[in-house]
Amino acid sequence: MPETGAQIEWACWNCRAATRGGHFCAGCGKIQPLPAGTDYFAFFGLPQKLRAEPEALEQHFHRLSWKLHPDNFARAGEREREMSLERSSQLNDAYRTLRDPVARVEYLLGLAGVRKEGQSRQEAPPELLEEVFELNEWLDELRTARQGKEDGELAELKHRLATAQRSFESKLHDVDSELEAAFERWDAALDAHAGEVQRAQLMAKMNEILNRRSYIRNLVAGVQQELAEGM
Amino acid sequence: MGRLVGIDLGTTNSLVAFVDPNTGAPRCIPGPGGETLCPSIVSLDLDGKILVGEAARSRLLTHPGRTIYSVKRLMGRGVEDIRDELKIFPFRVDPESRNVIRVRLGERVFTPPEISAFILRELKSWAEEYFQEPVDRAVITVPAYFNDAQRQATRDAGRLAGLEVLRLVNEPTAAALAYGLHERQRGRVAVYDFGGGTFDISILKLISTSEGDIYQVLSTNGDTHLGGDDLDNLLLARLEQEIREQTGFDIRAHAEAAQQLRKALIAAKHEISDADHATVQVSLPGGNAFTRVITRGELETLILPVIERTLGPVRLALADAKLKPAEVDEVVLVGGSTRIPMVRRRVEEHFGSRAHVELNPDEVVALGAAVQAGILASGVTDMLLLDVTPLSLGIETMGGVVAKIIPRNSTIPASAQELFTTGVENQTGIDIHVLQGERELAGDCRSLARFTLRVPPGPAGLARVEVKFLIDASGILEVRARDVRTGLEQAVGVQPSYGLGEAEIEKILEESIDFAEQDFAARQLIEARNEAESILHSTEKSLAGEGAALLDPSERRGVDAGVAALRTALAGTDYKAIRARMDELNQATLPLAERMINRAMETALEGKRVDEV
Repeated sequence: MPETGAQIEWACWNCRAATRGGHFCAGCGKIQPLPAGTDYFAFFGLPQKLRAEPEALEQHFHRLSWKLHPDNFARAGEREREMSLERSSQLNDAYRTLRDPVARVEYLLGLAGVRKEGQSRQEAPPELLEEVFELNEWLDELRTARQGKEDGELAELKHRLATAQRSFESKLHDVDSELEAAFERWDAALDAHAGEVQRAQLMAKMNEILNRRSYIRNLVAGVQQELAEGM
Repeated sequence: MGRLVGIDLGTTNSLVAFVDPNTGAPRCIPGPGGETLCPSIVSLDLDGKILVGEAARSRLLTHPGRTIYSVKRLMGRGVEDIRDELKIFPFRVDPESRNVIRVRLGERVFTPPEISAFILRELKSWAEEYFQEPVDRAVITVPAYFNDAQRQATRDAGRLAGLEVLRLVNEPTAAALAYGLHERQRGRVAVYDFGGGTFDISILKLISTSEGDIYQVLSTNGDTHLGGDDLDNLLLARLEQEIREQTGFDIRAHAEAAQQLRKALIAAKHEISDADHATVQVSLPGGNAFTRVITRGELETLILPVIERTLGPVRLALADAKLKPAEVDEVVLVGGSTRIPMVRRRVEEHFGSRAHVELNPDEVVALGAAVQAGILASGVTDMLLLDVTPLSLGIETMGGVVAKIIPRNSTIPASAQELFTTGVENQTGIDIHVLQGERELAGDCRSLARFTLRVPPGPAGLARVEVKFLIDASGILEVRARDVRTGLEQAVGVQPSYGLGEAEIEKILEESIDFAEQDFAARQLIEARNEAESILHSTEKSLAGEGAALLDPSERRGVDAGVAALRTALAGTDYKAIRARMDELNQATLPLAERMINRAMETALEGKRVDEV
């Protein structure tokens, strides 16, 4: 797991005291530049756990916002203004990512190189193949029927699609529960100082769930859009 | 450093405000006539002088070809963007216009930021007269839904007006700041801002923390070309048609009469907010008069579709904030168009709650800008505003598809880092196209800028350039590039797709030297210099003549030193120093002046009897 600058001794740009990569110098209180490669978890001083505590995170976000926001540096020199811009943008980026459970796990897997952005597989999970096949057939029929304006058939198809949509929505819900359980296992493994191999296994599993999730989500969105068009 | 003010640069009216240190409350600064609203109208005089506000408004009727209103609609836009607008607005766009629109006023041509700068200069001078001190920095408000180009154009206008724009604040957010101070509200607030030319909806969360109050914007949406102007144009089109049918007269061909009709129907629209009908009356060329009664019912039927159009963005903003209308605790109405009773009714129906209209909807945005200016001026504060970027930021990828890198409604400042590499051997540049918008294809989004990353020639995929896209607290994009292998920063020459380049701004600034006398400090300097010259002249004249004999040597040394000191100050540009030296010289020449007066009186009395005196 990549470690951030925690062990490295950083020197304050202003008073040369050691800063350990923190937001402010403990000696003179000046804002410090953001060490390259600081990840979102480290920025908040959090372990790389996945079960979020939204309220605690929001309070933390607000506390840091008070300190880092460019408003506080409007009268400071250019150097400090620049550091404030850098740190407050990182704060907002980090909060946006960490407060959303899916964005959070995707970010973690991205850090570890397990998941690359925009590279989630677009093939159907094997156990869903049959249902997906059927769904796509119905969608084709719907488009054909719409052109032919066969009203009776259209209503019947829509009904079938709406049922299928509900079925996939419930699958999405199942995947989310599965993901939630995987988060729990990951957090427990971190607490138990699990080794590289176990962590890699857990990550691979989560990546697989995420791929399945994004596939089903796209499917549901597609059906929703198709049904909405005919309204 | 001069004063810092808050400015609402509106489509119809503009205002300037500051936080009164005595009361801690924001206040609008009145102009010379005592009014706080400055009509956003600019006119070019026959002798080349620029008139702004009320002085320009009357010229809409007498000199329509030299006068412009609603210029905000043109900010940050290209010629093809405003094709529809040109059908209903009398903008005289220069045919030479390319990525920046140029409009003609009489024989001269201006860009929208230059025209806006005239309005800003006017407000700046109002504030300078009020404070009797120079004003050189400002917080300026913009519609929340303004894109990057529109924001840059506003910032350029500030610069052209001699103002450092410390921050652009979104208008609905500014209104929330003003309201928060006034009402001490907590919870979720929707700000419905329907102005002269733009519509914004922002959903905010007001949070009390131990450090102070946080105004956190959850989502924003809007339409930067939807406002009271559109209502006027609907009414105008209907009446123009009626005049044509009744009299056969095409009023559109007569700029003066058309402006008169527009003025009359705007007055009627305002009247109908309180009454159930109003009468429009215009005299047509050729002595005919046109009279028409408009009822509230008729107006409401006519403008209903426009009001309904505002509810689309309202629904989208609520969806992005993940809220149902009933979950909003307070609704605040801002902008002159919310004075229309039907607007208020529709908004209250939609949210199922009563709307706040306690503050003057014309002034509330300027007051909020002043609050933010106060925050920036004092540094220490118990209020913090966390705003969002209204549109997603993306880059064009293979096949013209846009990859979103900063989603809409992200809290700003926000950033995204992307790694770029070469696709073919010995490629020396990587072209990047930055866009803003929600659509999938680059052609459907707003082009912001293009730039080329320089890379050393080598095998494909070897070069690695990390680009940081940063949206600052004003919602304006900055781009930085760094070579990953060398760690060296690379200057990125970003060419804005719509807007003035740095060189163009410099050029305009140079050319606008004629307007320098409008600048407070410059004006003070000129006045002080003139006075100093005349004092020096009269002092030297009297010393050269009879005055020389009236001073003892030490007095003479004092006067000489005063003259020398004033001459030195005159060589500088500090008007306060000149005034100080002037005062000192006046002190030093006091005995001389007294003796000369006595002498003059003695001369006059000579030969006269005491009883004649």
